[in-house]
Amino acid sequence: MPGLEYLIAALTPFHIMLALAGVVAGTIVGSLPGLTATMAVAVLIPITFSMEPASALILMGAIYTGAIYGGAYAAILLNTPGTPSAIATTFDGFPMAKRGDGDLAVTLACIASVVGGLVGAAFLLWLSPPLAKVALAFGSVEYFWLAMFGLTMISALSQGSLLKGLIGACFGLLLSFVGVAEISADVRFTFGSRTLLGGIEIVSALIGLYCIPVLIDMVATPDRHLKVTHKTGGFRLAEALAFSWNYKFNLIRSSVIGTLVGILPGAGGSIAGLVAYSEARRASKNSKDFGHGAPEGVQATESANNATVGGGFIPTLVLGIPGTPPDAVILGALLIQGVRTGPTLFTDNGSTVYTFIYGLFLATLLMLPTGLIIGRYAYRTIITVPKSMLVPTVAFMTIIGSYSIRNSVSDVMIMIALGVVGWFLNRFGFSPSPIVLGLILGRIAEQGFVQAWTIGAATDELPAMFFGRPISLAIIAFILLSLFYPLIRGRWAAMRSSTDAE
Amino acid sequence: MPNEPNDMDSMTTKSDVAGTAMAGVFILLAAAAMWDTTTMVDADSYVFPRAVLIAMIVFCGLLIVRNLVRPGPSGANASAGSSARRVLLVAAMLGSTALMPVVGFFIAGLGAFLAIMMVAMYDPWTPYRRIVYPLACAAIVVVFYILFTRVLLVPLPSGLLFD
Repeated sequence: MPGLEYLIAALTPFHIMLALAGVVAGTIVGSLPGLTATMAVAVLIPITFSMEPASALILMGAIYTGAIYGGAYAAILLNTPGTPSAIATTFDGFPMAKRGDGDLAVTLACIASVVGGLVGAAFLLWLSPPLAKVALAFGSVEYFWLAMFGLTMISALSQGSLLKGLIGACFGLLLSFVGVAEISADVRFTFGSRTLLGGIEIVSALIGLYCIPVLIDMVATPDRHLKVTHKTGGFRLAEALAFSWNYKFNLIRSSVIGTLVGILPGAGGSIAGLVAYSEARRASKNSKDFGHGAPEGVQATESANNATVGGGFIPTLVLGIPGTPPDAVILGALLIQGVRTGPTLFTDNGSTVYTFIYGLFLATLLMLPTGLIIGRYAYRTIITVPKSMLVPTVAFMTIIGSYSIRNSVSDVMIMIALGVVGWFLNRFGFSPSPIVLGLILGRIAEQGFVQAWTIGAATDELPAMFFGRPISLAIIAFILLSLFYPLIRGRWAAMRSSTDAE
Repeated sequence: MPNEPNDMDSMTTKSDVAGTAMAGVFILLAAAAMWDTTTMVDADSYVFPRAVLIAMIVFCGLLIVRNLVRPGPSGANASAGSSARRVLLVAAMLGSTALMPVVGFFIAGLGAFLAIMMVAMYDPWTPYRRIVYPLACAAIVVVFYILFTRVLLVPLPSGLLFD
């Protein structure tokens, strides 16, 4: 076991207190629509200047892991993913809450997040250097195809027809182009509007497309927001633990998928939950229940997205390439502290790194009691607060949250406008998930496409650039599989039934 | 798979006229965006957007053709309830946001909170609710205002009137 003495160093009362405070603060921040893990970590950076690097890292890692879990509350109870990595949690979490199983969904999400976080931290502890090479194997064209894979997968997974999902994904990509182009500085698709010059901020769009339609429908009827079918006194912990044990393979598989996909900088976090969800549904005997409140779906997504915390730290610490925006903030804090990230970090600064990793284990374990208590409180609040107070509170949070990301009134306007557009599109069978993921992955996809296109055109090997690399071909195969899997499965089932009849 | 017609038990069975119409709207949007790409000078700016727009037009065309050749479920989610309250909610949010630079975040936010509370109110206004609900509104707005301005150091607009 690498550096057992660092485990003892991580278990000082001060570090336990930091981990606890970080997890609680992160969970609360993550549960509020508009407040992101990046913002929470960034705000706390000045506090960490006076700390030892290991203590600072433990605090920031605890906030980060707590915020990723906290995103599940809004996804389950309000159909609004607190973070992009919780998008797939809405698929089954919200239907569970609607039918009266919100408390079970929140407890399942907590257990899954803890398991995912522990698996991610274990990979970080034992397999960082070899796994970091995976991130280096991905070039620009691979990131382009990875983004396309994410979009085809969510188009196939979300409710509605595949074609509508693909149209939604294209619309999301189009939204990501709005504003000043990063590569060439051309002003694109603003049609003369100054409001659109700054582009469409991802988290504002996410809040608008998911949360505003829910609010619009909540005010329209006097019905309760969530159904309550039983006395809401407990966590339903025994039920959730039994379910987690029965579906332990789903839990472990999703955690490993989350860690491995989370290693890929930028694209990892938002795609990991989707890949795990897709795989859970493919492997499940109850695949028809997915999308209608299947607990396995919540389990898969939440374990995967918390595993990306440990996975994302692998390229951050070993290569100095931040896996996610919070990783980038933490990397900046490390540089200020004088810690140089890179392949020699684990040998030159072993004390700091291993103490931090054990601190991450500690924070993840502390997430179980704190997450259960905060989750129970969040659920009870949502089901007991009168609608006339719940709607304005959530609406106010969406406004202040959208504003605070870039201190921009335009972002709030865009958030509300996209919410109205999302409500109409949802009525016509267009799900918000492909649009949001198109917006998130648009920048990665465009950078990869333009770089590959430029190199391919310059070397006169355009087709080989896009279709001639082994990793690209593997991802293209997955894209085709995600698009045609329903067709293949239907044919396969028909063939089997005809064989059985004979 | 939820995208297969067999599994769409929660969806309506009428033909997808609205989906076809939306596909038409998306084609028009893509055409307008395509025209906008002609104003861009750098190939890096328009090469990927054009590829996406072409894909969008193709998918919309396929959806229209599919709906015409093989009318199927719309996948639309019917929504019952008061349209007036829906419009009032959006108007309150947009109105308060538009007023924010003038009257400041605190007053605009408090106004939006009170207006949306009245829009979402279905229970009778008892004397208790008349007193407690507005006080609770003010308390929530104050707590969030302090949290964002003092703890998270977000510069919320103070408004032209109070500068």
